Amino acid sequence: MYTELNSILNTTPDSFTQGEFVLLSDRQSDASFLIHHFLSLYLRARCKVCFVGLVQSFNHYSAISQRLGQKESLSVLIPQENDTGSQAMDFLRDPSVGLKSLYEFVRSTVSSNGEEGGDGSEEWGPPVLLVDDLSVLLSLGVSAGAVLDFSHYCRAIVCSQLQGNVVMLVRCDGEGEEDEGDDEGSERLMKGLTHQCSLTLHVQGLPTGYCRDIHGQVEVCWRRRQGDGQYTQKKLFQYKVHDKGASFFAPGTSSAVL
Amino acid sequence: MLPELLQGVDTGGLLVIQDSASYSGRHLLQSFINAALNREEAVHVLGFEVSEEELKDGLRGSPVQRLHFHNAYTDPLGWTDHPAFTVHQFCLGELTRLVKQTSHSKPATLVIDSLSWILRHVSTPDVCRTLQQLRKGGAVRSIIGLLHADMHQRGTVGSVCHSATSVITVEPAMRGDEAVAKITKRSKSGKVIQDEEIFRIKDDLTVVVQSKSSKGAKKADSEEQETDPTANLTFNLRLSDTEREAKQKLALPFVFSKEKKTALLHSGPGSGRIHYEPDANDDYDQEDPDDDLDV
Repeated sequence: MYTELNSILNTTPDSFTQGEFVLLSDRQSDASFLIHHFLSLYLRARCKVCFVGLVQSFNHYSAISQRLGQKESLSVLIPQENDTGSQAMDFLRDPSVGLKSLYEFVRSTVSSNGEEGGDGSEEWGPPVLLVDDLSVLLSLGVSAGAVLDFSHYCRAIVCSQLQGNVVMLVRCDGEGEEDEGDDEGSERLMKGLTHQCSLTLHVQGLPTGYCRDIHGQVEVCWRRRQGDGQYTQKKLFQYKVHDKGASFFAPGTSSAVL
Repeated sequence: MLPELLQGVDTGGLLVIQDSASYSGRHLLQSFINAALNREEAVHVLGFEVSEEELKDGLRGSPVQRLHFHNAYTDPLGWTDHPAFTVHQFCLGELTRLVKQTSHSKPATLVIDSLSWILRHVSTPDVCRTLQQLRKGGAVRSIIGLLHADMHQRGTVGSVCHSATSVITVEPAMRGDEAVAKITKRSKSGKVIQDEEIFRIKDDLTVVVQSKSSKGAKKADSEEQETDPTANLTFNLRLSDTEREAKQKLALPFVFSKEKKTALLHSGPGSGRIHYEPDANDDYDQEDPDDDLDV
């Protein structure tokens, strides 16, 4: 959990907006450090986290969260398991079927009443769904439309019905602006997800090129009404990822510069 | 033109609000819903993209008793056993039944949020046909649809907008809380009016038009900024009024005007005359060149 990002987003483990759909995206960069932030934030808030990790192994996330100072181990997570009986990954066999069975898996996970804790008297917070990442589904043969349907249903069940949060990571390569977009494009997926979400964090490299002290920029865009403020507020920050976390600062105020 | 459209879409009309990922058109859509509710019209919302709570949350302060929300958000594809309304039910029969469920004296306004969701699952010709049938059908008075232009190919967007009577394309403006609306309106006589306005939506969902198109504003600025080139010179380039009149009256020497023609052809008194007395030597007969030889 990065404290500077918490103050930017106005969230703490004790108080965060519920029913939010957060979209993490990157273009020719790597936004997965943000996944670790949200993972440790929601774990610290004692939320029931359903983590669909399609990219890295369970140990990877566990190791990183220990490094970030997560006191509880990740055993409270529900790791994505490829049971022989599990139907969730059916789309691997036949991508045209769509992601309905994956959605069913998610729905049953977030709706179940916390039996895995063992102690039924524990108070869990609202359910949270994290997905890392959606672009992998595209490369597995699923169409962008099916992924958008999946994210719509996840949002309907987690955000609207259960008042939980959803965080999804999507990655783009290339310059964007595929005009007569092919249906399978990651651009179309990203645009569709941007329309669905309430908060986006878009990670990009610096437009001026590589810098040793600044690893890139993050554009934070609030798409829904924030209290009584104006709609669609945007803010730009630069960031640097280091061993124990990441620091965020306004453009031009990096500690290397000042 | 935006306030005019807000006062009511013509009967049998289809208004399409086009937006993109950089600026959401849903806020403007809520302004239209609010305006219709304030006019005591019944509004039916076919909601695919946002839940009822979220939509009504944005309509705080509006008389929502006349708003009927048809839930196509929780299960639009029929993945559960009891879907309320699926995207495949988007056809004339089903929609007419849906609207007529609530009996009202006046035909209602149908708001579709959003057309993009439907276009992802139903083919474009079918969607356009259903919209056309709805317009002519009489079950609904007018239709307002939200379309995310950057999610479809240009042909799809073009087809849907072609069947619309008015199209408003919204984009972010320079200032954060303002937006630019490019409006195209087709009247029944076939006339097409286009306009571009900068607007802001207030907290009570009324729309305030800040100024006309940004292009017009820029032009006025540049005219004001242009300095008078005849100022601050060491010589005088300006003309007084009498000088200007004399300059305009002056006939240029090589311009062959009508007055000059008549002056030349019918020379007035006192101008030179030419008297010609034929001389014997001038009598030159072409056929007999030796006529003057005394042989």
